[in-house]
Amino acid sequence: MLFRILKNSFLKRPKAVFLIFLSVAMGAAVATAFLGIAGEISHKMALELRSYGANILLEPSAVEGGGFLREEDLPKIKTVFWKYNITGFTPYLFGVADFSAGGKKERGVVSGTWFAKQLEVPGEDPSVQGIKGIAPWWEVQGTWPEGPDEAIVGATLAKRLGVIVGKELDATVHGRTQRFRVVGVVTTGGYEEEQLFAPLVTVQSLLQKQGKVSRVLVSALTVPMDEFGKKDPASMSKDEYEKWYCTAYVTSVAKNVEEVMAGSRAKPIWQIASAEGSLLKKLNNVMLLLTVLALVASATAVSTSLMASMAERGPEIALMKAVGADRFQISAIFVGETLIISIAGGVVGYLLGDQLAGIISRTVFNSAITSPLWLFPTAIISALVVAIAGSVAPLRRALLIEPVKVLKG
Amino acid sequence: MAETIIETNGLTRSYGDICALKPLDLQVPEGEWLSVMGHSGSGKSTLMNLVGGLDRPSDGSLRVGGEDLLALSEDGLARFRREFVGIIFQQHHLIPYLTAVENVMMAQYFHSVPDEAEARTALERVGLGHRLKNRPGELSGGEQQRVCIARAIINSPKLLLGDEPTGNLDNKSTIMVMELLKELRAEERFTVIMVTHNQEVAAWGDRTIYLDDGVLVREERMNS
Ligand SMILES: Nc1ncnc2c1ncn2[C@@H]1O[C@H](COP(=O)(O)OP(=O)(O)OP(=O)(O)O)[C@@H](O)[C@H]1O
Ligand SMILES: [Mg+2]
Repeated sequence: MLFRILKNSFLKRPKAVFLIFLSVAMGAAVATAFLGIAGEISHKMALELRSYGANILLEPSAVEGGGFLREEDLPKIKTVFWKYNITGFTPYLFGVADFSAGGKKERGVVSGTWFAKQLEVPGEDPSVQGIKGIAPWWEVQGTWPEGPDEAIVGATLAKRLGVIVGKELDATVHGRTQRFRVVGVVTTGGYEEEQLFAPLVTVQSLLQKQGKVSRVLVSALTVPMDEFGKKDPASMSKDEYEKWYCTAYVTSVAKNVEEVMAGSRAKPIWQIASAEGSLLKKLNNVMLLLTVLALVASATAVSTSLMASMAERGPEIALMKAVGADRFQISAIFVGETLIISIAGGVVGYLLGDQLAGIISRTVFNSAITSPLWLFPTAIISALVVAIAGSVAPLRRALLIEPVKVLKG
Repeated sequence: MAETIIETNGLTRSYGDICALKPLDLQVPEGEWLSVMGHSGSGKSTLMNLVGGLDRPSDGSLRVGGEDLLALSEDGLARFRREFVGIIFQQHHLIPYLTAVENVMMAQYFHSVPDEAEARTALERVGLGHRLKNRPGELSGGEQQRVCIARAIINSPKLLLGDEPTGNLDNKSTIMVMELLKELRAEERFTVIMVTHNQEVAAWGDRTIYLDDGVLVREERMNS
């Protein structure tokens, strides 16, 4: 009987029902689309943020290793648990050298590194590692070094030495001299402008530090630190530690890398890591807020439509009350209507929202997305929430209708 | 002597300054057919609504079928209406988007469980066996009023209230409705209270009370 009442009441007022359905569907669609691309946006955003610099620094631990890391350990970074989160890394070997060029002499830092090194690790996809990948903001006038005796010089050092692109320059360390051809002058806005950058192998032999590395900078995709992430891993239970290890906190990724680099200690570069974390958190909050606003807007629309149709349905409700319907029975009719409309609206909203998310992702990020499994139930639940929130006020009004006043005879 | 089904003492209903029903003492024995007459605005509908549990008195006591209506909650009054009372209004209040049989079933639904066969039988009893699937808009005034009667009696009420049920009907339909009610009462033995402006309609009852400005001014017993 309830079903018959609902069916006929729907058929009687198709416009009103359609309006409510539309409000619910729009709300669910927007919520679905936002939540659907939220993950994608966070991911893309995190990737973009990675171009602001490495967020993990590996240094020799004070106790062992004699102050250096081993170059041969570097490929292992591509094999760790969090390898897919590591977007790039670069080794550095530093030494003090006496530079001379065109009669001018200056003391400065010579820095051996990878610029864009082809890295083949058995069992892993080949990749290119080096400064070009993790420090995209470096501005090189000229070209990046390719041959073993090519180098780029920091802008300040170049000025002091009076070298320009194409000139040659000698670096002397403990009586050994290496001649470099300057192929580029680099501007970074930082201390790097005081240094000379050359291929790692060349600097290793100049410094007599074959196979050695002073530090490694690692760039990794991480999740924002939360209360749990800030806990000291040493004080965790086994389960907690596992959970911590399996969450991509900057600290757990750092730990992960540290484990494969003999004699190393990994430290998050906090000014990068925490700025990134708070940006991502803000982004997520904005997405959530927009979703909630969309839902509030559609709940308001539902409420307005229901209120409007309530005026028309007053006599009907009064009559039901007169023949003995109690508040529960009246509510059941309303809730029934609302449930049917909102489930239908939720399904349609989900389908629309999923399409919308796909379109947004294609046009804005140029990538396809697959919507997560939880999105469908979330869409239905948000439709229900919208419908229920929207029908509270109209239902209250329905329950307050006095049959005597409406059914004057 | 039959038991008293309705008993009021100093029953009053006022709307602010307007006193629609002055303190009224009234007793109705079970099975009686009581007609209520009076000018427009004399408080007839007010009395019906109070007795039917659709409205609450301002003062006085009101017992219907052993139930103290003043003590009932809103949902308690709803239960009282669906279990104890059948109401027929002057305008044939039907749900426009439901068929005749569905309108009757709606009362069953609120009462307990809808039973289509029973609803059909009720409509056959009021002579509408051929109009089951029609919506109110497709029925004449007299036919609509008979649907209301079928709906009012479907849950076997102890008390049938009619607020000018024949007020909108022509002579022929009025007689048809009255005869129908008389027949049904003979079978079901419910008590009837009926408001009317029509002396002839009032004469179908056992007793007529006259209200004037909310006061019971006269009563008259019919001999039949
Ligand atoms: N909701 C209300 N608010 C204020 N006054 C009301 C209300 N309902 C009824 N009244 C007043 O109460 C008095 C009795 O009204 P009631 O409806 O009982 O009259 P009635 O005898 O049924 O009249 P009629 O024959 O015209 O139907 C009238 O003066 C009316 O104006
Ligand atoms: Mg009246």
